Amino acid sequence: MPSAIATVVLCFLGFASPVFALDLRELIRQVETQYHGSSAQARVSMEVATDNWRRTLEMESWSLGREHFLTRILEPPKEKGVATLKVRKEVWNYLPKVDRVIKIPPSMMGGSWMGSHITNDDLVKGSQVDEDYTFALLEETATSWRIECLPKPEAAVVWGKLVYEIEKVRKLPVRVDYYDEALQPVREIVFDEVREIGGRVLPSRMTVRPLDKPAERTLMRYHDIRFDLALTEDFFSLRTLKAR
Amino acid sequence: MLPRLAFRNLWRNSRRTLLTLSAMVASSALLILALGVFSGMFADMLASATEQYHGHLVLSRPGYQDDRDMFAHFADDPDLADQLRRRPGVRGASPRLRAFGLVAHGNTTRPAELLGIDPERESQVTSFSRQLIAGHYPQKSEADAALIGAGLAKRLGVRPGDELVFLTQAADGSLGNDLLTVSGIFETGAGNRDNALVLVQLSWLQRLTVLPGKIHELALTIDEPMAAAELAASLKPVLPDGLALRTWGQLLPEMQEVIASYDVSRLILVTILYAATGLGILNTIFMSVLERTREFGILMALGMKPGEVRSLVLLETLVLAVISLILGVAAGIAMTLYMQRVGFDLSPYLSAVTYAGGTLPPRLTAVLDGQNLLVPAAALLLVALAAGYFPARRAARLKPVEALRED
Amino acid sequence: MSLIQLNNVGKIYPLGSQQVIALADIDLEIGAGEFTVFAGPSGSGKTTLLNLIGCLDRPTSGSIRIDGRETGGRTAREMADFRLHHIGFIFQSYNLVPVLTAAENAEFTLMLQKIPKAARRRRVEELFAALGLAGLEDRRPNDLSGGQQQRVAIARAMAADPRVILADEPTANLDSQTSEELLRLMRRLNEEQGTTFIFSSHDPQVIHLARRVIRLKDGRLESDHRQSPKTAA
Ligand SMILES: Nc1ncnc2c1ncn2[C@@H]1O[C@H](COP(=O)(O)OP(=O)(O)OP(=O)(O)O)[C@@H](O)[C@H]1O
Ligand SMILES: [Mg+2]
Repeated sequence: MPSAIATVVLCFLGFASPVFALDLRELIRQVETQYHGSSAQARVSMEVATDNWRRTLEMESWSLGREHFLTRILEPPKEKGVATLKVRKEVWNYLPKVDRVIKIPPSMMGGSWMGSHITNDDLVKGSQVDEDYTFALLEETATSWRIECLPKPEAAVVWGKLVYEIEKVRKLPVRVDYYDEALQPVREIVFDEVREIGGRVLPSRMTVRPLDKPAERTLMRYHDIRFDLALTEDFFSLRTLKAR
Repeated sequence: MLPRLAFRNLWRNSRRTLLTLSAMVASSALLILALGVFSGMFADMLASATEQYHGHLVLSRPGYQDDRDMFAHFADDPDLADQLRRRPGVRGASPRLRAFGLVAHGNTTRPAELLGIDPERESQVTSFSRQLIAGHYPQKSEADAALIGAGLAKRLGVRPGDELVFLTQAADGSLGNDLLTVSGIFETGAGNRDNALVLVQLSWLQRLTVLPGKIHELALTIDEPMAAAELAASLKPVLPDGLALRTWGQLLPEMQEVIASYDVSRLILVTILYAATGLGILNTIFMSVLERTREFGILMALGMKPGEVRSLVLLETLVLAVISLILGVAAGIAMTLYMQRVGFDLSPYLSAVTYAGGTLPPRLTAVLDGQNLLVPAAALLLVALAAGYFPARRAARLKPVEALRED
Repeated sequence: MSLIQLNNVGKIYPLGSQQVIALADIDLEIGAGEFTVFAGPSGSGKTTLLNLIGCLDRPTSGSIRIDGRETGGRTAREMADFRLHHIGFIFQSYNLVPVLTAAENAEFTLMLQKIPKAARRRRVEELFAALGLAGLEDRRPNDLSGGQQQRVAIARAMAADPRVILADEPTANLDSQTSEELLRLMRRLNEEQGTTFIFSSHDPQVIHLARRVIRLKDGRLESDHRQSPKTAA
């Protein structure tokens, strides 16, 4: 079974599952298909620090497979009720203060999501890493694998290369490095604080750092996760998005 | 007596001289008109580049104009703005705050640049108030008014009175979002403004971005845009620490290049038009020298020196040049003034062209500029003297004995 | 000492690969106040000789002195200056500047000498009176008869008081009566004002009005004799 954190991470960042055997692609495909139909609900806190401000958002999120995702801000009060819905390649934001839904235009998918170091693109494109990239085992140590992902020539992706480091025993991600098209490292995500959540052993903390601004970071902490809820696609609708 | 002789010699073949003269008059007059139109286009472009957005001088934190970092703000100090506005040569100062975000109407969302302004003061600097195609320019009292570019309005499908949602990242990291009401739609002809710019009240944007009392820039409009750099230097001592002035030339380097290339183009135009004229003058003077070979022989036999013969021929050219110069400049001024007053509307055939940060409206107008008279006049004199030089040299080198033998 | 002294003067024109000997071995002296004609058939060298004396051209060999001074100069400018101050010229025809009036033509050399306008006017008035041109000052050459034009040319040649006036076939385009009148006028000026004249002609009617006749043939002196010219018309 794929881990629950991986479900969330995949939704957010398009994390590809660790590879267990020689056929990396086939393994990834199997892992990816295991998510279909599986669903989750989570309580997440997101702590964003920039050069100019620092704040923490408390959120509740739902996911169904890798195509559906909904999150709603619980704290702070100023933004309570701001919600994001992702269905396939589209993203909407709901703004309770003005009671309006804004659809993110394709040209703004590279923009920041909720002020964090995660982009709208991460929500959409990240979830299909196994389809857009080719994989190669870069390094294998006693404890981990390092897998290099290069985009397929025709894939419309923003990264030039991804390198995953996966812990062998528990098959959990340790870190991901992101490279731009000039193959310069630009961002890193580190997973740690592995513990049992919702009945599974998962890294409960994920830290995203833009390498050009060393003092900035976005830190996501997963609290409660419940798996395999009776969620249907109907749930991930604009109506649900607007419901307070 | 030499000038008198030169003057009379010109009219020996009056038809030929008149033809050459009219060519010279026409070319210099047309050149003056063309340069005037050129300057008119240039003035339009400069006006559009500055009065449509930037202003002539912009005061901001040093790096702000390059990276538009929202945190490179400063306090909106009314004393500073007043002090700057009262300086000689400064016509107006407008405080502005800028935010980038998403603007939405119905199901459509577009990226947009929001410029928070004080409508009254902004109209001293930019011409948005005169470029409305629908609605009205916001009043100070309309707190949620938005003046929106025509292209953006069309894409969003909004008309005056419609509602807009704006979403941006505020200075405290929160999601600033609020509703606006479209008060008017402007069209500058510049795509980057018409398709992305929304003007809103400064106080509204300050509240939305959580930047109370802050601005990003103070845009100034001045009397002499061409002397912006000098004025900026003279204002430097009164500026508070940590703020710097940028001139329109620095904000629009392409425009600066256009000015530089304008001088080159002007010379090219002068050269092309005068090359033909020069050949005409050369031909006329050469013919007249060849026809007078025997006469030059006699004059030289009488004791006229080669240098005096050369002066005589050059003088003839000079007289021709001066006459055509007076007539040509007069005609050129008349045509330029006419064009300036009446103009020429090209909008049925052309649409506005945006280039180097400025917009060329589809009209022909002209500007009377001393340079545009001086350059053609000086060039005509030079060309005439150059064209006269070769025949003059030929006449001066005649040998009297041989010249006398000719009939 | 003679006014004009020619020693062994020769002039050779290169003509393609040949050389045209226009003048050879000319030894000649002409005194001040003489009234001399160079006579001879066409091609005998009259014009060439006058041009050498008039400093319009340089001899190939020999020397020419005027007032004991070697004539001319090295540069065109120096030669022009010499002509301006020492020589007067009368040419065959069309020798006036058509755009200048008779008076302006006559004062041209004075103008070149930078003589003030008032002095020029006085001199022209005086000459026009003497030459019977009074009242024609403001006429253009085209509005003058051939004889009148040549008289203006004489006035111009005399204006600056040159040491000698050279006239190459001054009557060539005039009818015989006008020719004779012009020659008589020149001789009167010679007699009354002492002006030295040298002219050329192949017209016997004109030649016999001279006091000294120098005949040229094939570029050489053929004869040189003095005569008492006919006095009556
Ligand atoms: N520039 C010249 N080049 C070659 N030959 C010349 C030149 N000028 C004169 N000659 C020749 O020199 C000779 C003398 O010529 P010149 O003109 O002096 O004769 P002329 O006596 O004045 O004749 P005419 O009565 O025809 O005027 C002639 O044979 C003439 O052809
Ligand atoms: Mg002759």
